[in-house]
Amino acid sequence: MSRTETALFEATGPKARRRIIIGTIVSILALIALGVWIVYRFYIKGQLESQYWYFFSQINVWAFIGAGLVGTIRAAIGSGIIALIMGLVLMFGRMSKIAPVRWLATAVIEFLRGTPTLLFIYFMFLVPAQLGLHISTYWMVVIPTSAYASAVLAEVYRSGVAAVPFGQKEAGLSLGFTRAQNFVHIILPQTMRIVTPALVAQLVVVVKDTTFGYVVTYPELMVNAKVIIANFSSLVPVYLVVSIIYVLVNYAISRLANWLLHREAAHVTSDESRN
Amino acid sequence: MKQLISEYGWQFIASYGVSLRISCIAFVLGLLLGTLLTVGRISPIPPLRQAINIYVETFRNIPVLALLVFIVYALPDLGLVIDYEPCVIITLILVSSAFTCDNLRTGINAIDAEQIQAARALGLSFSTIVTSIILPQALSSVIQPMVTLFISVVISSSTGSLVPLAHAELTGLVTQINNKEAMGVVTFLLASILYVLTGLIIAFVGRRLEKRYALWR
Repeated sequence: MSRTETALFEATGPKARRRIIIGTIVSILALIALGVWIVYRFYIKGQLESQYWYFFSQINVWAFIGAGLVGTIRAAIGSGIIALIMGLVLMFGRMSKIAPVRWLATAVIEFLRGTPTLLFIYFMFLVPAQLGLHISTYWMVVIPTSAYASAVLAEVYRSGVAAVPFGQKEAGLSLGFTRAQNFVHIILPQTMRIVTPALVAQLVVVVKDTTFGYVVTYPELMVNAKVIIANFSSLVPVYLVVSIIYVLVNYAISRLANWLLHREAAHVTSDESRN
Repeated sequence: MKQLISEYGWQFIASYGVSLRISCIAFVLGLLLGTLLTVGRISPIPPLRQAINIYVETFRNIPVLALLVFIVYALPDLGLVIDYEPCVIITLILVSSAFTCDNLRTGINAIDAEQIQAARALGLSFSTIVTSIILPQALSSVIQPMVTLFISVVISSSTGSLVPLAHAELTGLVTQINNKEAMGVVTFLLASILYVLTGLIIAFVGRRLEKRYALWR
């Protein structure tokens, strides 16, 4: 709870306390009712019967789900690495002193950022084949996903560069550094430290985008889920389990990003307090 | 190119309309639901706060495609049959309300605690404080992230191409045309230019709104 939120109901009077207790009871009852209703829906539709669930006790089912997760991770890491590099290239273009380079980079960034990844995946799926080119399903997923992420990361990097205090650059120049040296030795290392949390947070989007492998049957989590469903004709439990896996993985990544952010903030405040 | 426009021009415009309709309904309802959830999330009722926290983390972290597939293919097994377009809209509402909730929370945290204390010292009730002090400030300070959210809702409306909509949205139309005629690059380019322009227009309007309503602290 933040300070603002605490201020909202610190030191409550007897009347407010009574209202809070009533609200608590009512909301607990409502949540229980919701839970019961969901379980009841499962029950009357026979979704709780063991035929829909028993196969989760088989090790090879989990191995197959695991293989799907590995596919997801492989695509996410591939896209992530490409985006880290391409984002930097696009950022340099965007901040270039040469106007046409800057315009071109801006146009590319806006184009990649504004186009749905799914549209781009359909493009990779349909168009190269029409031209007689063969592309593996891995690249059909990774190229569009990394293209979108590159454009977003270019902007993240740019805001990071902008966040480095101007005096740092002046100090470098006064020491006789060239523009390039200044960038490599002074600005870029600080930028990287500033943007790391945002880079990690962007990984969630990359993981989400790998689900588009569903469209081109690249063997990731969603596609493997479909295979399990076809084998055991159990739709609800499989999609439920897979959704939970996605939520947990992405939740873990965003917690990591948050932790990095707070660690960074802690560094900054302790640096300040030393002055 | 000429053939594309003469044969599919109107369909392109109609599909673009479908994309916009889905996105606008989902964004507006997501904004309303997200605001409502935010009020619950800052209420002094612990179980409600916890439930909303779980809701936000779930729908913020689930891939849109996975959620859409669940709603379209799994819910009928539980006796809930919904038409395809409402399915897409519901999916986007769930996701955008979670992000709205998160954005608003950041906005609320930026408000000085002293303001709330002052309001309470004046004897204002929780609902008055929320509707006349917290929400207006929170909303005006999160215009930029909400603009970004709107653009990503428009982009996510492309997942509508995964289900057989009665009237295809833009991405769906492009794949239909390409399955039939192999027109290649041009159709895709046209569609993505429409998406990009939409995003740029939303961003432009957002900047104007921000100039007018943003609070400068």
